Amino acid sequence: MAFTNRSIAALALFAALALPVLDATAHDESKYPDWSGQWRRPRGLATQWDQDKPAGVAQQAPLKPEYQKMLEWSIADQAAGGQGLDTRFTCITNGMPRMMAVIQPIEFVILPNITYVHFEAFMPRRIYTDGRDFPKDAEPSFAGYSIGKWSDTDGDGRFDTLEVETRNFKGPRTVEFSGIPLSEDNQTVVQEKISLDKSNPDIMHNIITIIDNAFTRPWTVDKRYRRDRNVVWFEDNCTENNHHVVIGKENYFVNHEGYLMPARKNQAPPDLRFFNAAGK
Amino acid sequence: MLHRLFTGTLILAASLTLALTPASAFDESKYPDFQGQWKRKLGTVNSWDETKRPGIPQDPPLTAEYRNRWEASMADQAAGGQGNDTRVTCISNGMPRMMTILRQLEIFIRPEMTLIVFENNLPRRIYTDGRGYDAKDNIPSYNGYSIGKWIDENGDGKYDVLEVETRNFKGPRNYEPSGLPLHDDNESVILERMYLDKSNPDTLVNEITTIDHALTKPWKVVKNYRREKNAEWYEDLCTENNNHVMIGKENYFMSADGYLMPAKKGQQPPDLRYFNTTGN
Repeated sequence: MAFTNRSIAALALFAALALPVLDATAHDESKYPDWSGQWRRPRGLATQWDQDKPAGVAQQAPLKPEYQKMLEWSIADQAAGGQGLDTRFTCITNGMPRMMAVIQPIEFVILPNITYVHFEAFMPRRIYTDGRDFPKDAEPSFAGYSIGKWSDTDGDGRFDTLEVETRNFKGPRTVEFSGIPLSEDNQTVVQEKISLDKSNPDIMHNIITIIDNAFTRPWTVDKRYRRDRNVVWFEDNCTENNHHVVIGKENYFVNHEGYLMPARKNQAPPDLRFFNAAGK
Repeated sequence: MLHRLFTGTLILAASLTLALTPASAFDESKYPDFQGQWKRKLGTVNSWDETKRPGIPQDPPLTAEYRNRWEASMADQAAGGQGNDTRVTCISNGMPRMMTILRQLEIFIRPEMTLIVFENNLPRRIYTDGRGYDAKDNIPSYNGYSIGKWIDENGDGKYDVLEVETRNFKGPRNYEPSGLPLHDDNESVILERMYLDKSNPDTLVNEITTIDHALTKPWKVVKNYRREKNAEWYEDLCTENNNHVMIGKENYFMSADGYLMPAKKGQQPPDLRYFNTTGN
């Protein structure tokens, strides 16, 4: 009996000693889903927003008539050699939500208070999961301010879903390369529900709902990403070898010899009024 | 006997505790506390050797050829040009210059990799998983390929120093805005030793030694970063509102009303040979 008491005491003592070692400093990754590796678009898909439909008008974005006209203008301008509403050729970030179309592969890094989404071509997204609220004085950004919450939807003691809300944007931003526009008021709210596919853990679903004043109703799509475990990272510096040059509101092209060229038929050259004619 | 039982209980308890520790738990207590936001030391500018002013006071051990190039760069800058400084195009500063911390950075540690996240450059990945430079994703980049090793220098059972070697670059790269150049062969080797200052854990010391064929001997500088505990992050997009326009090898400037302007006195306007003048 005495031995039992002593044994229990010893166990209790050891447990008490061991617990502090495990708590504050250890990040228990087993509480979180395994999102390691590199995530890419499904094979054969371009960067259209709704992966189940072709890009452009076929997306059937629930745009208000005014914004539908803007999209149609953008597509027509692109067909004529312009860039329409797509600003990516200037190497500005795509911002949210378009950056989640995953042009290049992305990576999730989960820490208790924050989940990072790393891109090859953009600055990272920070999704705060520390219980904070949206700050009142945060600087608007293209990526917005993201607050997330982990949930254990199947009750197995391990988080499986990250729900994220992103606000506080600046613009202009588009939903895809065709130029599907978001409202100039930048009051967009983007909600995401990110989880692994239940039957295939190498597929991730990101159910993204956009609430925006350019739309007649919230627009939800289910984006799928596929895991690549043979991770290879590249440094995608957009400005490296970017041959687009914007002067005023016009996009021109610089050829391989370094000469300025029109980007579309009959485009006027830039106005050179600030150059000294004698210097020509 | 009693003693033996007690010891046995302890061993059992230890085994149980170890088994309870999740295999995937990342024990942060083994690593130094590099958390938070790191900024340049107060009062320093973005010179390479932070103890000296940029330009000539740096007194780098350059070969005669690269000294001439550097002086030409500074002369060009004095005349309104950009010299060797390519940051005007928003290309990444690359290594080693990015470690000057133009904007703040964040370091987070995982057993297999330490990530350095910048506000205005793509992240650096420092692999600490024992890999070599023969990894398949080791392709030339501005950041180079970084392999690190954690060291417990004072033998207290906790790592305190991260030693990093970075190779396999592309260029052009330079150390600081004056255009202090690295060699065109891009065979630089950058050695870093990062650790917290023993007398002030809110100072992160980075001893950086550059070995490069533009130098007559390895060049070591010591950078001190200060920890900002009240971290605020901004989205620093270099291409946003960048009024520099590169056409061929010439840098021009765009006025507030969108007109192309010379960036230096007597600069020739761009050659418009590809424009149909009748379209003007």
